[in-house]
Amino acid sequence: MAFAKFLAALAVAVLLHLAGTRVEPLFPLAVDLFLLVALLEARHGRPSGAMLAGLAAGLVADGLTGGPYGLFGFANTAVGYGVARAAQQLVVQRSTSLAAVFAAGAAAQQAILAGLALVFRPGAELAGPEWLLAKVATTALAGLAWTRAVERLAGGLARRRAGRAKPMELPK
Amino acid sequence: MKPRWTRVLLAVLLVGQLFLLAAQTPARGGDPQTLLASVTLRLLGPFARLSAATGEAVRGAREATRGRAALARENRRLREELLELRRDRLRLAALEQEATALARGVDFARESPWRLRAAEVVYLDHASWLKTMLLHVGPAGARLDQPVITEAGVVGRVIGAAGGYAKVQLVTDGAAHVGAVLERARRQAIARGAGAGRMTLEFVPRQIAVEVGDRVLTAGIDGVYPRGIPLGTVSSVAPGSELFHAIEIEPAADLARLSFVYLIERETPPAALRSEAGDGLR
Repeated sequence: MAFAKFLAALAVAVLLHLAGTRVEPLFPLAVDLFLLVALLEARHGRPSGAMLAGLAAGLVADGLTGGPYGLFGFANTAVGYGVARAAQQLVVQRSTSLAAVFAAGAAAQQAILAGLALVFRPGAELAGPEWLLAKVATTALAGLAWTRAVERLAGGLARRRAGRAKPMELPK
Repeated sequence: MKPRWTRVLLAVLLVGQLFLLAAQTPARGGDPQTLLASVTLRLLGPFARLSAATGEAVRGAREATRGRAALARENRRLREELLELRRDRLRLAALEQEATALARGVDFARESPWRLRAAEVVYLDHASWLKTMLLHVGPAGARLDQPVITEAGVVGRVIGAAGGYAKVQLVTDGAAHVGAVLERARRQAIARGAGAGRMTLEFVPRQIAVEVGDRVLTAGIDGVYPRGIPLGTVSSVAPGSELFHAIEIEPAADLARLSFVYLIERETPPAALRSEAGDGLR
């Protein structure tokens, strides 16, 4: 079930990425939906799953970008693993902390990408710092919004289930 | 999965991807498209196509909606234009009819032996029991008993005038009498209005041969109408009494479709003389 959810999320990310690029060609510079999918999986604290999710999402991103194959795959794999390990150690509840986790993941990915580009594509033109900041901000906000929405939905469902399961009290 | 194996897997994945990246560096030359990249491209191709098709469909639907709205606007504009053109055509047809009538009237007035003055019909009451007509005769006015005719024949006589307007008694009015003559038989008689657009011809002896279609003209004996103006045609002849025919006349002028008429400018006998002669022909 979790794997199916992940695949569905990845497919939605692909469609949104393509649609966003059609509307605004600079969309991929400001938003990385594949990283978001990997980070959302990593939040559960399962390093192996997060790593594979990061790998898959990164390779898909590589397929859609013109860069060398494996660039995003490497970065997302590493970030997914790192965030999953961090999630094992920390219990994050506050919104600011949660946003900071997503922001840190995005920043780490950007740093890894920059390092890889320097090594394997010395002449490559890197995105400007404003785009790096934009990507970090959008990842943090989108991740926070998605997490809160899912929590609210799950809470509502749980309350409904609890209401139905309430035992009948007989008059004394 | 145990943490140790997870770390091993991570290392394998990262190293593998580093090799992959290294294999694609430009220094190595050759085709940078790897098998994995090719497979991924094939898998992602349909998504890209779906996205493009969806975008095209949305754009097409938007353009279709815009096109429909533009067509509706154009249709509305064309309808309004069509209505305007129809109104113009009706106006032009009315103007043409009026111009034709005026031209006919000008010809008639030029060839007429009398001095004529055109007058515009502003009100026509030939439906009620009193058959009258109101004329706009202009600043010259009109005088009592002035004959009113069209190019087709007699219309009536002025029975009242005020300012630039004149009231006319039609020849079909029940109180109207006109001195008449049967053109073919040369027999004088009296034509009297019978209402409902008809007239009768009285005092024609049964010895006189009268046929349907015979023309009736003014006789010029009543002191109002000059001689020889068409009054009508005989529409029916029947034995009225032992002495006279019962003859019906259809007026020569179409009294129901008058827009312009003519006043005959002609001196009439003084009223005193007409009274002495017995003004029974009115």
